[in-house]
Amino acid sequence: MAGSSTSYYFVIIGTKDNPLYEAEFGTFKQGGDGIPKFREEQRHMNQFIAHSSLDCIEDQQWASKEMYLKTVDKFNNTWVSCFLTGGNIKFLLVHDTRSDEPIRQFFADVYDLYCKTLMNPFYEVNMAIRSQTFDQKIKAAAKKYL
Amino acid sequence: MALPLEMPPRVRAAMNTSKASPMYNLRSSIASTGSTTSLTSLFAGTGASLPRDIVDDIKSVIHHAFVPHIAVHVSDDVDEVVREKGLPDFYQLIRPYGEKVQGRITARDSQGSSVPFEDFAVRFVRLSDVAQKPDRKGSTSGNSFRNGEYGGAGIPEAINSEELPLADELLDLHLSHAEELIDTNLATETENHTGQAYYLLYLRKILSGFPVTLHETWAHPVACLIAISSRNTTPLDTLRQLYKSGSEVNIPGYVNKEYLRYYVLVHDEDKDDIVKSTALFEQMKRHFGLHCHLIRLRSSMCIVSDEDSVPVAKSQWLPASEELAELHAHQEEDIESDTSSRFIHGSDEAAIKTMIREMVAQSVIPFMERNIASWNDQILSRRKGIGGRVLSFSRRFLGSTATRSATNSATASNFDSVTNSYDPMTPEAQMRKLADWSFMLRDWKLAYDVYNTIRTDFNNDKAWLHVAGAQEMTIISLLLTGQPITPKIRADTIDIYLDAACYSYVTRFRAIYAALRCLLVTVELLRLAGGSSAELAAKWAIKALDLNIRPTVGRALISQRVGDCYAVRQGAGSGGWGGRRRKAAMWHVLAAETWIRLGKFAQARHCIDVAMPKYANTEFVLIRRFVEQMKLDSGHVNLLDLKIDTGVGGTGGQVVEVGNREGEEEEEEEEHGDGEVEKPRFDGKRRSILIPQTPNGDAPGMMTMDESFDDGPL
Repeated sequence: MAGSSTSYYFVIIGTKDNPLYEAEFGTFKQGGDGIPKFREEQRHMNQFIAHSSLDCIEDQQWASKEMYLKTVDKFNNTWVSCFLTGGNIKFLLVHDTRSDEPIRQFFADVYDLYCKTLMNPFYEVNMAIRSQTFDQKIKAAAKKYL
Repeated sequence: MALPLEMPPRVRAAMNTSKASPMYNLRSSIASTGSTTSLTSLFAGTGASLPRDIVDDIKSVIHHAFVPHIAVHVSDDVDEVVREKGLPDFYQLIRPYGEKVQGRITARDSQGSSVPFEDFAVRFVRLSDVAQKPDRKGSTSGNSFRNGEYGGAGIPEAINSEELPLADELLDLHLSHAEELIDTNLATETENHTGQAYYLLYLRKILSGFPVTLHETWAHPVACLIAISSRNTTPLDTLRQLYKSGSEVNIPGYVNKEYLRYYVLVHDEDKDDIVKSTALFEQMKRHFGLHCHLIRLRSSMCIVSDEDSVPVAKSQWLPASEELAELHAHQEEDIESDTSSRFIHGSDEAAIKTMIREMVAQSVIPFMERNIASWNDQILSRRKGIGGRVLSFSRRFLGSTATRSATNSATASNFDSVTNSYDPMTPEAQMRKLADWSFMLRDWKLAYDVYNTIRTDFNNDKAWLHVAGAQEMTIISLLLTGQPITPKIRADTIDIYLDAACYSYVTRFRAIYAALRCLLVTVELLRLAGGSSAELAAKWAIKALDLNIRPTVGRALISQRVGDCYAVRQGAGSGGWGGRRRKAAMWHVLAAETWIRLGKFAQARHCIDVAMPKYANTEFVLIRRFVEQMKLDSGHVNLLDLKIDTGVGGTGGQVVEVGNREGEEEEEEEEHGDGEVEKPRFDGKRRSILIPQTPNGDAPGMMTMDESFDDGPL
């Protein structure tokens, strides 16, 4: 699906199915350079897959007491992992290899970052996150864990 | 379409949706609004269940797929009589009438209570088509068959029907015609042209040409119709000869040759003397017993202007190959002569219907009932008895490992691993036949029990093809019994058997056709069950997509169906929690993409329309861009341009919008129906239509689609 090395598509989705923040990155493991290797036709599919997996999340969010729902959906060879915040904001990661633990750590970091964003008096829930610092820190977290 | 009036409307609707060809049946297909209305209400349905007539549409397709096959074997003089009428042969003449046996047919189930069927059907096949052929006969026969010499080790090529690519080709042709008609404004873009009608047609084509296979007995003849005409000078000898040549036809070894023989005397009303024919008929009865019929046909040609002329019924269950050949022939000579609509005398039609009714009601069904009862008595109960006894005995004395080897050695002898088949006289083969026949008589419960029993037998013999066939039918008959499908059944029975059957079909035997048939029928039945079964249906439909990688019409239809399956799952409450609307939308978009690649823009437009409500206001940039591009590609854009003008230019937007909407009512009529689906979702957002929110700087035109989906005061 995603070229030779693993690539990730990360999106934060608000309560109205609206994306707040999107990022694509490649793996840094096994000598990866962190550059996403999605083919052009895969890039919009990532969004479709993430969007459609919300159906499954709505099903599963009541069944688990964890915020990290692990892998919630699968489409062909891509998986979707989800982390659900208390305010019903979803962190979704579309990935093509299964690895629960690093993704959990990644999500934990992202959750911290998101909470800090929420503390910003100029930020309201469901607003798109455009901060460059946030972006850099997400990329750093990705580099650290994925 | 000469549809009998006594048919219940839903059956008529079912037949209409699968119209033989848009070229000449366009009118009737548009006129049949039965399934159109029900399709819109499908989405509006609050509960998990589908409307009744949709259920009946699909069930009737499945019921009519698994019907008794009756071989036709006639003397030359009979065909001669029919040829004088201007029809190719006797088989072609009677075939369409077998698809709907006149009146109500009653069959007794295993409990002894009689069950009436309003729409019983039989399928006529040429006896020579059942027979083994040394090589494939081009595209003339759906039942062509080869065995041994290619397969090696008995792996039969026959289970791979050659109908599959042909069905794709046929649908392609149909859709192209529909496109042409839409382009030239001959037809409005109605549900009938874009909705599930084509999927049903595809399903029907896949189910219409069952090959003669060794692991199941659907296409094995239940009876054989032997006919002579009153012109024959040596009638009784000819009948005997037909009987003999019929038995000598090179029928594959695994087909049971002890089918019912039904003797028919065709009396030529115009040229021969009825007194003589009656005398001959009496003689026939004396010689051949009760399974005889005298049919009075006129040999003269019938033309439209004749008083009681009726068009020859069109077969709804033509195998794709034959229909393709017919369409091609039709295209070549289209203008001069309309060969597709021939006429026969009304009296002939009545005579044929009576003959088929009598044959089915008085000979075929009793014959099947008798056999079912005797096999049930002799084989099934005995096997259960002995098996049970052996099992309990060995469990007590020998332990469980010995049990397996004991049953193995007891049954292994029946399975011929060289030809990969059972001899028709072995208990296993007869049980399979028992199951299939009770399935044909719609005694699902008995069928389910028997399939369940033989599955283990086949498994012990390692007859994988037979196991797969039994697994397939176990699921189908289980779903048809209508017992509630619990999560346990779903996980333990349906999922596991389907997976195993597909694995056997695809990996062991490369029987793509069998796998596809198995999956599609199951998917439909699961979809009808609704709720989480519908999600399972979608899952297996996706699996069916994997069988066919190339972007063909079939693939596009199936991906559209995946969306439909997800759409059935509605979810609870106003928020639709637990529904699968987003997934449905995604699959419709994927289907639209395939349709565009195939150049079927009307279909693509329909899919986009279905998916649009979900994506109209999405803030995902790439999704918007992609959907927009698809709209451009499929010609959806005209409508959009119109809307942009009103949206941007009109300051008194509301007024312009209303006027505009009225102008578009006509083209949007059908799509409007689908739009109602998402109505509640859009009510809140309607105000934003004219002041599009474009946080991502995309074309504001995207928003305007949902205007047409809103419910105007129409």
